[in-house]
Amino acid sequence: MKKQHAILMAASIIGMAFIGQAEARDQIRIVGSSTVYPFASYVAEELGQTTRNKTPVIESTGSGGGMKLFCAGDGMNTPDITNASRRMKSSEFELCAKNGVNDITEVVIGFDGIVIAQSRGNADINLTRKELLLAVAAEVPSKDSSKLIPNPYKFWNEINASLPHRPILFYGPPTSSGTRDAFADLVMKSLTKKMDVYTNLYKADKKKNKAYKKYKNIRQDGVYVPSGENDNLIVQKLIKDKNAFGIFGYSFLEENSDRIKSATVEGVTAEPENISSGKYPVSRSLFFYTKNSHADKVPGMKDYVEMFTSEEMIGEEGNLTEIGLISLPEEERNATRHIVAKHIKLSSNMLKKK
Amino acid sequence: MNIADLSFYFVAGLLPLSVMAWMLGRNKVTKATTRERWNSRPGHYGWYSIVWLATPALAVALLAGLLHLAGLYTVPATTFLIIALIAAAAGCWQGLRMIQPSLRARDSIEKVIRGLLIAAALTSILTTIGIVIAIIFEAIKFFEIVSFWEFITGTQWSPDAASGDNVHGMFGSIPIFAGTFMVTIIAMLVAVPVGLLSAIFIAEYATDGFRNVAKPALEVLAGIPTVVYGFFAAITVSPLVVKFASAVGLHADYTNALAPGLVMGIMIIPFISSLSDDVIRSIPQSMREGSLALGTTMSETVKQVLLPAALPGIVAAFLLAISRALGETMIVVMAAGLRPNLTWNPLEGMTTVTVRIVDALTGDQAFDSPETLSAFGLGLVLLFITLILNVISIYVIRRFRQHYE
Amino acid sequence: MSLQINANMKRRYAAEKRFKAYAITALALAGAFLIFFFSDMISKGLPALQQAEILVDVHYNDTSMKSYRKAVDKPFRIIVSRGWLRTLPLHMEDHPELMGTTKSQWVIANADVDQYLKEKPHRLKKKYQKQIDHLYSEGKVRLAFNTGFFTRGDSKMPELAGIKSAVIGSIYVLLLTIAFALPIGVMTAVYLEEFAPDNRLTQTIEVNINNLAAIPSILFGLLGLAIFINFFGAPRSSALAGGLTLALMTLPIIIITTRASLKAIPDSIREAAFGLGASRWQTVWHHVLPLAMPGILTGSIIGLAQAMGETAPLLIVGMMAYVPDAPGSMLDAATVLPAQIYTWAGESIRAYEERTAAAILVLLTVLLSLNGLAVYLRKHFEKRW
Repeated sequence: MKKQHAILMAASIIGMAFIGQAEARDQIRIVGSSTVYPFASYVAEELGQTTRNKTPVIESTGSGGGMKLFCAGDGMNTPDITNASRRMKSSEFELCAKNGVNDITEVVIGFDGIVIAQSRGNADINLTRKELLLAVAAEVPSKDSSKLIPNPYKFWNEINASLPHRPILFYGPPTSSGTRDAFADLVMKSLTKKMDVYTNLYKADKKKNKAYKKYKNIRQDGVYVPSGENDNLIVQKLIKDKNAFGIFGYSFLEENSDRIKSATVEGVTAEPENISSGKYPVSRSLFFYTKNSHADKVPGMKDYVEMFTSEEMIGEEGNLTEIGLISLPEEERNATRHIVAKHIKLSSNMLKKK
Repeated sequence: MNIADLSFYFVAGLLPLSVMAWMLGRNKVTKATTRERWNSRPGHYGWYSIVWLATPALAVALLAGLLHLAGLYTVPATTFLIIALIAAAAGCWQGLRMIQPSLRARDSIEKVIRGLLIAAALTSILTTIGIVIAIIFEAIKFFEIVSFWEFITGTQWSPDAASGDNVHGMFGSIPIFAGTFMVTIIAMLVAVPVGLLSAIFIAEYATDGFRNVAKPALEVLAGIPTVVYGFFAAITVSPLVVKFASAVGLHADYTNALAPGLVMGIMIIPFISSLSDDVIRSIPQSMREGSLALGTTMSETVKQVLLPAALPGIVAAFLLAISRALGETMIVVMAAGLRPNLTWNPLEGMTTVTVRIVDALTGDQAFDSPETLSAFGLGLVLLFITLILNVISIYVIRRFRQHYE
Repeated sequence: MSLQINANMKRRYAAEKRFKAYAITALALAGAFLIFFFSDMISKGLPALQQAEILVDVHYNDTSMKSYRKAVDKPFRIIVSRGWLRTLPLHMEDHPELMGTTKSQWVIANADVDQYLKEKPHRLKKKYQKQIDHLYSEGKVRLAFNTGFFTRGDSKMPELAGIKSAVIGSIYVLLLTIAFALPIGVMTAVYLEEFAPDNRLTQTIEVNINNLAAIPSILFGLLGLAIFINFFGAPRSSALAGGLTLALMTLPIIIITTRASLKAIPDSIREAAFGLGASRWQTVWHHVLPLAMPGILTGSIIGLAQAMGETAPLLIVGMMAYVPDAPGSMLDAATVLPAQIYTWAGESIRAYEERTAAAILVLLTVLLSLNGLAVYLRKHFEKRW
């Protein structure tokens, strides 16, 4: 009896083990960032509709999760392309190399600006990054900048007397979102790493106070409300609660420009030219990474990459720009297309530069 | 040849061979010339041959699969098929040789079938073990980073404050469990009165015609998928709650706990009403008649005779409903918020355990970060609570079940 | 004395009336919710059954092959759906007889036009609104039945979005679920009812099944991720991974309902078979199971209906991908109808709201029919022993 049920269990185990290792595939598999996802799925659908290729399958796993799946190996049961709202980290590059993924091409496709949006009916407002930091950080410097205190600011004019007496309220990305990471990097870390009142704490106890080296904790007392992916709800909230600000990507502002508008940051408006040129300080690049070893084995993969980087998609009047992608300056677009055409291999040096 | 094709060929080859083996076995019996009585019917000897054919082939498959999974050696496809074929043929030959009148084929097959049945029954144990393993492995990784005590008793959940080794006080899960309990309590406040009273009405007061309409109508509530409830809660109920709140002068967030709580309560009504109805109807008529004969009204009979008798079943239904509410995911993912918030006010935005699990596993952060692993920590505690509730409800039923004559 | 009794009686009767009133109110509340819910869903979903179309001249020629926008005249280029236009070049390749012709046909309009005509919030610019009004009065714009909703898969353009690939994915997943859950479930139930001795192993199995029925669905998703995808290597987002996970979830229901049906069959049938010399298995296979079939069928339909509405475990197993094409096999990426509803519910473009509600109506129709079928079968085949 024991022999029989052992055999039976084993047979089902085998069946399932076998099924997973399919060799040839006719569908492109893409994973990665939820910010790049809308653009990638747009191109994917275009590919499926205008060519005879099957539509690529795109999963929104997040940049980190996408890297992990991408770098898990070079076999055909791993994804072909991963999207990212940040550059690949050196540790991820090494993981890829360790698992046999050596021939990667990095493709920059455009920018994403992070905007501070409010209801369209409100008066215009200009905020500096320092003011934003003081509004969202969990701990802020005391009046004499000698120590850190829990954030006491409830109104904007407490931070800067020239700002209106308006309650501070943010609807922003949750901790699981790449946009939050980007916001933390660009608005918080870039400033706090240069502020002594934070870094001194780090220097005092490097182990326990590691967070203070580049402080990015956001307050949890209800002034910053983490909001999920349901964009409609956020817009409704912003319209209803005119005091509130929303923190999200530019593409979302573009979608709803009839109901919301953005604040200027340090005098610069959140517009494509400013984001593209780097004048708008809160912006980041969007990428995707491809496995060149898969390019010949998966039909349509080359077409997909070429289509994505074509002028029709990422150009200044392109389709993706219409749905909110900020396009690269022309020379950089040409550079991207050159990289794609030559399958330039990504090296660790390239990652360290720029 | 890829593995999917391989398994297809394997199975597709085994089938006609089995048919052949069956016929060979059976024919050996029907064409036999001995005068002895055969122990079993001819068909049984056919199946006997099949067992002798299939077992070696499956054993070869098992071996090859184990070797492949362990990464030791991958047998090339054609080699595998040939070896399996030879094994099958050898087995079949041996089996046929063993066919004689005194062979108790029916009993042998019976043993094999019994084994298959036990194997099937063991899958449920395997599944439980699987779930526990899947969660524990990663949860252990999480609890290596975050102390279990802090996790259980901490009141601050701020994963972005955690970086590197400094995770003290960042992963206190009490606000999250508080959110779950708040939504569950609201749900039960809706479900228990409505469910219980409906069950009593249907069981005791209603005419047959009414019951035939009302019972299926309540079952419809159970048939609505949770994602639909979630959509309804987010798009219709939440704005209504906000509107009513501001009409009364209170402030309600769009991601308040009241909306998912109310909708979840409605979803749970059938659990309570259906189970209570069954329990109440199982109480023998003699108890009702005895009480009524003493001059009580129907409601007094219900309150003082029937409900106490039905109590264990109702409590079990109650516990089952609670555990359903605790584990419910879609309604809260779509209607509740993401902010861990420890508060008594259901109008404020808050998050629950299941929402955090989904968010942690489908979000953008790095795969091995404490935040992703926290999903497994939360899952482990959730599993634990659900199992305890289940055990309690079984115990309650067993201990307090009244046996009628 | 009798006055006191009378007063007492009055009080008790009043209490009785109140109690009855509460009970009826409870039922009425539940009923009111049902009505509210369905009317809300229907009112939100019905508009999706219509899709705006414009009567235009489509030029099938070389210029259109190269630049599909030029296939229609300039004033129409914005208001017609670009998603439809871009399929023209391939379409002309497939149908060379169209080359050189110009056809006047009804073409899908873009989402803003569609929403404008349905008097929903839209972003159509004033000049296009005037154009549409003018065309409408000429009869060149209409709201036609939205067959595309049923024949197309998902799309990033709401005017082209449909549920076909989600429905096919659902069917694949359900087939897999039943293929795994039914045999194993029935075999387990048969073992427990007919063969199992009352020992430790049996009790453990029974306790396990009870526990599995109570475990939250999302934890099954974790199981699917860790074991089927990571360990066994089933492809992510495939119907296989989803089907296996749902099969495990459906197992307890099938086991419990099958056991109940087997229990209901009187022992006299079994004993009669034994008396004639049948072995246990012969009794079960030839006598007990056929009689229990209706109950087993009912149970599996109920289990299937539940599996069809599940979303949480599939989220974890990856069936949240953008999968516009219908899956060709069990291993291809797929999505299921509840997952499609979840994705559309989160889209920022407003036009998706009505499509979400329409998809919900489709799902509800199927599920309620399945449940109704199960109830009907149960009544029809109910035998009193």
